[in-house]
Amino acid sequence: MNFFTLAAKNLLRRRGRTMLTVLGVAIAVSVLFSLLAINSGYEKELNKEVNSLGVHILAVPKGCPYEAASLIMHGGVIPKYLSDSDYRNVSTIAGVELAAPMLLHQFMKKDEKTGVSTPHIIYGINMEETRELKPWWTVEGRFFSDNETGVMLVGRGLADKENLSVGQVLPVGPKKENFTIVGILGRTGDQDDQFHFFPLKEAQRVFNKQGMITTIAVKVEDVSRIAAVSQEMEKIPDIQVVTMTQIMGTIMNLAGSARSLLLTVIAIALIISAFGIINTLLMSVNERTREFGMMKAIGASGLDIGKMVLAETVFITLSGGILGTVAAVVGSSIIESFVKGMLPYSPGGSLIAYSPELVGFALAFSVLLGLVCGIYPAVKSSRLSPMEAIRGGFE
Amino acid sequence: MSGIIEARGLCKVYRRGREEIQALKNVDFCVKAGEFVSIIGPSGSGKTALLNMLGCLDTPSSGSLKLNGIEIAGQKERDLVKIRRENIGFVFQQFYLMPTLTARENIELPLLFSKKKRSAKRIDEVLQMVGLADRGDHLPGQLSGGEMQRVAIGRALINDPKIVLADEPTGNLDSVTSEMIFGLFSELNRRGLTLVVVTHNLDLASRAEKMYTLRDGRIVGCEERA
Repeated sequence: MNFFTLAAKNLLRRRGRTMLTVLGVAIAVSVLFSLLAINSGYEKELNKEVNSLGVHILAVPKGCPYEAASLIMHGGVIPKYLSDSDYRNVSTIAGVELAAPMLLHQFMKKDEKTGVSTPHIIYGINMEETRELKPWWTVEGRFFSDNETGVMLVGRGLADKENLSVGQVLPVGPKKENFTIVGILGRTGDQDDQFHFFPLKEAQRVFNKQGMITTIAVKVEDVSRIAAVSQEMEKIPDIQVVTMTQIMGTIMNLAGSARSLLLTVIAIALIISAFGIINTLLMSVNERTREFGMMKAIGASGLDIGKMVLAETVFITLSGGILGTVAAVVGSSIIESFVKGMLPYSPGGSLIAYSPELVGFALAFSVLLGLVCGIYPAVKSSRLSPMEAIRGGFE
Repeated sequence: MSGIIEARGLCKVYRRGREEIQALKNVDFCVKAGEFVSIIGPSGSGKTALLNMLGCLDTPSSGSLKLNGIEIAGQKERDLVKIRRENIGFVFQQFYLMPTLTARENIELPLLFSKKKRSAKRIDEVLQMVGLADRGDHLPGQLSGGEMQRVAIGRALINDPKIVLADEPTGNLDSVTSEMIFGLFSELNRRGLTLVVVTHNLDLASRAEKMYTLRDGRIVGCEERA
């Protein structure tokens, strides 16, 4: 028997109350832990994703804010268009290695069984240029060539979700024209997994957008000349230029403010649970006044009593910490989808990056929480006069 | 021969709001080593105040109190704890056992505070001494009142104190059990332990070697058994 087992046995006397307090701590710690894990995963994933676009500069229609540019990465559709001539102008600028025009079209598709409508995104692309931008693309079946009609590629994630296979024919567009899936892209781990890809000309024709494009993705020959190239592109009247560094910065800013909002919420949750712990302990300290008096009579010092109360608190918060960390790891997907919903932009891959340091931090934090919460009840109980404690007064 | 407990002109004043209560008024009191002393008196006579002071749970307002030759008056709480640990064993009316600890663990508890080495043999010895050799692994809830009080007495003995102080040790027990507890006290006393017992039970109190009567904070009588 030592102070810790004694404290543990004391806590078991009020099982229900102890469990509720532990649960409160667990929830706070698990949210904190997830947020920190997401924090470290977020930037990494974002960088990876922007690099996976293989694009240095995006040309978008004038008036389109950076947020729209970031939406484009995930298939947001803007009701303004560039023209084929803009594309030709861009591709002739010195220093442009590659310019790829894209037309985005979004439509809602109702699931036959569940009746839930989900947005589907179609990218009209030129295959040759796109494959240069994304040399890692692989395909089951085959890629299409730019002059084919009635063909499409789909991303692996989309294919899995909707049970699509090569050779399947889907009705597309206002006239329900038949399009054959000629290939399914190998898994890329990013947003491309979720899209339909059409030859650009077919996309323009089917959706009545002849000569229109949504964006031009530009790859420069020399990364150090991004600024010069984008300046040159700005001279084309319809075009607004957004560089990937700008997009990154904007996204990080937006995400940063969303994260500080989340942190505030968590801080408040932690403070509430801290008061809960203090309250629980004060209650149990008051209930056990006589017991502490007895302990003093049989040789406990005030310090011993204080240590015992502190051990009880740390026991509560550490159990909560362990439970919370385990819950955070187990339930990471739920927490991730919650956080993704809160953030204005989130990369496609898993955001949560756990590390031993992070686990160590969460546990150290819960011990610290215990020490902070336990200090007042501990001091209070250690100062009890043993005589008053036993008799609750005097004769 | 000087006593193991020596009180001279002992006073204790409590404050309750504006009211001042004199719990002990100029008490002289002496217990020799190995003596069995009982204290009787009506409620509010100052019995418990005296016992608490003897047990170093409280310090005198004025006067002198020596335990085993050490002056208690004016000592700091930190030093009182040490004196208490080394010299005093306490037994209470309500037993005050920890409900989640077995009899054995309850007896062991003071060793946790005195940081003494815990030997299973010593605990067995104490269990034997209080007649609970076969009940060591029972929780207080599984024990009778008399057994619980015997656990508490065992707990008071584990640190090998010079003096055992008992506050109404039979107050919650029936007469047969009370008799057994007093028998145990007499047995411990025969082995050389100094005992001070506060009680309402005149019948039992009169079986101590000395019986003090306390009234309104003063010692008004002392009977010695022939």
